[in-house]
Amino acid sequence: MNTVHIDELDRNEMSDGFVWRPVRRHFGIQAFGTNVYTPGASGRVIEEHTENVYGHEEIYLVLRGRVRFTVDGDDHDLGQGQLIFLRDPSLRRGAVALTDDAAVLTVGGKPGAPHEVSAWEYTFAAGPHLRAGRYDEARRLLHEGLEAKPGNPAIRYDLACVEALAGESDKALELLNEAVEADERFREYAQTDEDFASIRDDPRFPR
Amino acid sequence: MSEGYEILTLDEVEAAPHRGSNLIPVRHTLGFRPAGVNAWIADAGGQLIPPHEEDSGNEELYAVVRGRATFTVGEETADAPAGTLVYVPPEVFRTAAAAEDGTIVFAVGGSVGEAFNPGGWDSFALAVGYAQSGRLHEARAIMAQLIAEKPDYWPTYYNAGCFEAQAGNADAAFEHLRRAKELDAGGDSDEYFRGDTDLDPLREDPRFQEFLS
Repeated sequence: MNTVHIDELDRNEMSDGFVWRPVRRHFGIQAFGTNVYTPGASGRVIEEHTENVYGHEEIYLVLRGRVRFTVDGDDHDLGQGQLIFLRDPSLRRGAVALTDDAAVLTVGGKPGAPHEVSAWEYTFAAGPHLRAGRYDEARRLLHEGLEAKPGNPAIRYDLACVEALAGESDKALELLNEAVEADERFREYAQTDEDFASIRDDPRFPR
Repeated sequence: MSEGYEILTLDEVEAAPHRGSNLIPVRHTLGFRPAGVNAWIADAGGQLIPPHEEDSGNEELYAVVRGRATFTVGEETADAPAGTLVYVPPEVFRTAAAAEDGTIVFAVGGSVGEAFNPGGWDSFALAVGYAQSGRLHEARAIMAQLIAEKPDYWPTYYNAGCFEAQAGNADAAFEHLRRAKELDAGGDSDEYFRGDTDLDPLREDPRFQEFLS
C-alpha cells in the first residue's frame, strides 16, 4: 500500500523559513495539487503570497497543532480538523505556527482546467540544493522542470541563479535574458538578487 | 471575513449517511471547484470510507486528520494513525474503518488530464440524508441546485426521480425520470431503470413501462 506519514515526507526548508513537504511529488499524483507544510526556523508555515499567477482556489487543512492564518490582513487561529478555503486568488494569505508540531495540508487547482504541475514545485525542489551548493542536483531538478514546462521563465531564472553561483557566467546571462524576455518581472528581481553578484557588472546583464 | 474565503471546522459540519458511512460534505459546503474534497467521520469500529473502486484515471489521496484508521487497499491492510497519507490509484479497491472514536479522514480526488467535474454524488447523499430525516424542503433545494448547475446532465434528473420515488411522490418522480431518459442519448440509464431498488415504489405503476424499453 502506498502510504506515508507526514513526518516521513521529504523536508525542504525554504529561504523564508517554512518547510515544504512534497506530497503530489512523493506519490506522483497528476490529477490535483497537494502538499504538506510544517514550520521551519522562523515559525512560518505558509509563505505570504497570492494565487494571482496561477488563478488557483486553495484549501489549507490543519492536520496537527495550531496555526495562525492571516488572510487579507485578518488573523484566524485554527486547530486540528479546521480548514480555510480561499476562493479568491487575489487574497494575500500566509500562516505561522502557534505550536511546534503544526502541519498543514494544502489542496489547490484552477477551476475548470485539468491540473498542471506548477513551475514552483520544481524551483522549490531545487532551492535547498542551490543554497547548499549542490549545483548538479539543483540543475537536474530545474532541467526536469523545463522538460515538463518548456520555456518557463521562473525555472529559467532559477537556473540562471545556479549557473551564476557555479561560475558559468555565459550560461547564466543567456538564461537570465531569456527569463526577462518572457516575463518583465524578472528584470526587477534580478537587480537585487545576490545570486547574480558575479555577473551584475557584465554588459549583457539586463538593466 | 470577506466573500473570498471561508473557514470550516470538519466535525461541526452536519454529516450525511452514505452507503454505511458518515460523509462530511466539504465540497458541497464550500463550493470548491478544482478537485473533489470530502471527509468521513466514525467512531471505533465504524466504517469510514465505503468500499469502492474509482474509475479509470481517477486518483485519490486520503489524509487521517484525527484518531486512527485501518485502511484496506487492494488486498493489503494497514494501520493509519493521524498524520498518515494514503494514495490509491484508479480502479483499485479501497475501504477504511475507524480504530478510535471521532476519527476523521479527509479525501481528495480528481481525474488525470481532465478538469474536475463534480458528479454531485456528495450533494445527492446530503439530499437523501435530509429526506430520510423528514427534511424534504432542504432535500429538494439541493436537488434543484444540482439541476440548475447542470441542466443537461441526466444522472441528476435520475437521482431526483429516485429521491421523489422514495419520498412517495410518483408524479414528480416520473417527471424527473422522463427528463433523464430524454437526455440520456446513449442509453446508459437503462440498467439503472431495470435494477435500481430506489425505483421499487414506482415499478407497479403502469407509467413505469415506458422506461423499460
